[in-house]
Amino acid sequence: MMRSGTRRVVFLSMLVAMGTALHVVEGMLAIPLPVPGVKLGLANIVTVLAIYLYGLRDGMTVALLRVLLGSLIGGVFLAPGFLLGLTGAVSSTLVMAILLKRTRCFSMIGISMAGAVGHNIGQLLAASLLLQTSAVLYYLPILLLAGIPTGMFTGYLLNSLLEHKSEIFRDFA
Amino acid sequence: MTRADKVLLVGILLASLVSGTALYSRFFLDPVGAQPIQAVVTVSGKAFRTIALQSGARSSFVVQGRQGASKVEVDGRRVRMQQAPCENGICLKQGWIEHPGQSVVCVPGEIVIRIEGAAPLDAVTR
Amino acid sequence: MSKRATVIACLLVLLLIAGLALLRQSGANREYSSDQFLMDTLVSIKVYGNDRETLKTAVAVAYAEMHRIAELADGFAQPGTAAYQSSDVCRINALAGKKPVQVDGDTLAMLVLAKKYYQLSEGAFDVTVGPLMDLWGFGGKNPHLPAPDQIKAALKSVGCQDLVLNEQDRTVLLRKEGMKLDLGAVAKGYATEKALQALKKRGIEKALIDAGGNIRVLGQNVHNSAWRIGVKDPRKSNEIVAVLALEDTSAVTSADYYRGFEAGGKRYHHILDPRTGYPAAHNMTVTAVTQDAGQADILSTVFFVLAPEKALQLAEKLAGVELLLVTADGLIRHSTSLRGRLEVQPGAAYRYDQSR
Repeated sequence: MMRSGTRRVVFLSMLVAMGTALHVVEGMLAIPLPVPGVKLGLANIVTVLAIYLYGLRDGMTVALLRVLLGSLIGGVFLAPGFLLGLTGAVSSTLVMAILLKRTRCFSMIGISMAGAVGHNIGQLLAASLLLQTSAVLYYLPILLLAGIPTGMFTGYLLNSLLEHKSEIFRDFA
Repeated sequence: MTRADKVLLVGILLASLVSGTALYSRFFLDPVGAQPIQAVVTVSGKAFRTIALQSGARSSFVVQGRQGASKVEVDGRRVRMQQAPCENGICLKQGWIEHPGQSVVCVPGEIVIRIEGAAPLDAVTR
Repeated sequence: MSKRATVIACLLVLLLIAGLALLRQSGANREYSSDQFLMDTLVSIKVYGNDRETLKTAVAVAYAEMHRIAELADGFAQPGTAAYQSSDVCRINALAGKKPVQVDGDTLAMLVLAKKYYQLSEGAFDVTVGPLMDLWGFGGKNPHLPAPDQIKAALKSVGCQDLVLNEQDRTVLLRKEGMKLDLGAVAKGYATEKALQALKKRGIEKALIDAGGNIRVLGQNVHNSAWRIGVKDPRKSNEIVAVLALEDTSAVTSADYYRGFEAGGKRYHHILDPRTGYPAAHNMTVTAVTQDAGQADILSTVFFVLAPEKALQLAEKLAGVELLLVTADGLIRHSTSLRGRLEVQPGAAYRYDQSR
């Protein structure tokens, strides 16, 4: 992993752009569950990549920027949905960074599942604070469960990416 | 998947099961129609209105949420969000709720409808 | 410590905590409650304590006190009946314009209080509205809208300045013939307070008296927290517009939805403004909160008749008095000092601006 200045900035910008696009697209995908906050989590892929290549700080930057830009484009900037998305991104990035950098036993599937769960729990806590009610906690079991398939899906995608990492990241890491 | 991944998977499943039992068991234990229940509606965390839920009583009212007006419908001992201006309409898809602890949440509108058990009032001045 | 020892130690600690929690629950927990119909309404008394016999006796004495006050203040007793003999109000009314009547200490106390608030409210509260109430017919079966000159005539017999109280001789005189006392806005609250003091004297520490909507609480509720008292929505009888958290105080409400009638498309309720002769029109409902139930009863009427701004100012001036009101056009207002003990639920029909 290198910290070469220009390449790093360029790659991170690309990740942010992709993350934003993914954020907007998955926001438009309707999940049939009547529970707020269930998303496919595709945008997390870029966050994981950023952490993987450059560490927590850059990972957090990418995560925050993609939520910011994604919300601006999606038109929910400064709406409650935005704040929740922000908390979710922060908590999931933290969780994934810890697992990615401090442990070696998890594959991308585990990391993504943990990230999805971290994201959902963070959002729930933020929602309960925002609306000043513990009523939202009733969604916890469902959100936990939902983190498994979404985490496995994105984790599988990441695993595939990393198989070819020597070619993809050749110029950037 | 590594072994750690599988452990994590099982862990999340267990957590979901445990929290689900803790939170939802009430729905199956509480005999419907026994205790007095009420629907508490809050907007942006502030109390808006509490409706006693009695079988046979029908009503509906408008709640001004953060994105505009929503309509709440009460039908006997159940309540639902009937109309809402939010774009995803998750709160509408939830349909009727009727057990203490259940809730309908409209995040963009910051409206929460929650069913609570028992009338906590000691008396009413009138 | 070994692992097993740790587990056992934890379980013991948990058991200890659970045991202590259970112990705390029992004790002054026994509840006794009773209902009686008096002063034209249902009066419920709920008390908590250790010994059922003590509770029963205390409540019986409390009711006896309320009956006594009800008799003294009864304005509807028919001449020749026993009720007429024991009613101070009937005797005062009968001898209006003639001579002073000697009365019970409590009757005098009620009237002294009434006159005090007549002066404080600058005439918005007046117990001599009897002639006006009779004219409108609210006490009977046929309330109707009187003609303006009829009201003007009746007003000539209304005026608390003509109520003469002699505290030394314990006499009361209505100076002009045709004047009439109506203690409807005082007696229930005064009786409630008497009942509560009777409970207190017998060692009761937790009680709630609900006299047809006049609430007087003693101490805290059985869970050692403030009593939760709802304020009835003036237009939707099944709902409440606010919740008060009260300890050792009274909450009495005056509103426009009790007795009344409709005439010419307009609704007339029975709380008349003694200065104009017509129903007070500023508010839908007013709840006065203060410790003494008799004062709360009077104040709820005072505040109902006065314009909201004046009512709020008067409450500020008086020590330990607060109010909550819903104006005629649906605005909810209240004393600022109530804020920590009040949860307003405006619903869709009323407006509530917390900052004012």
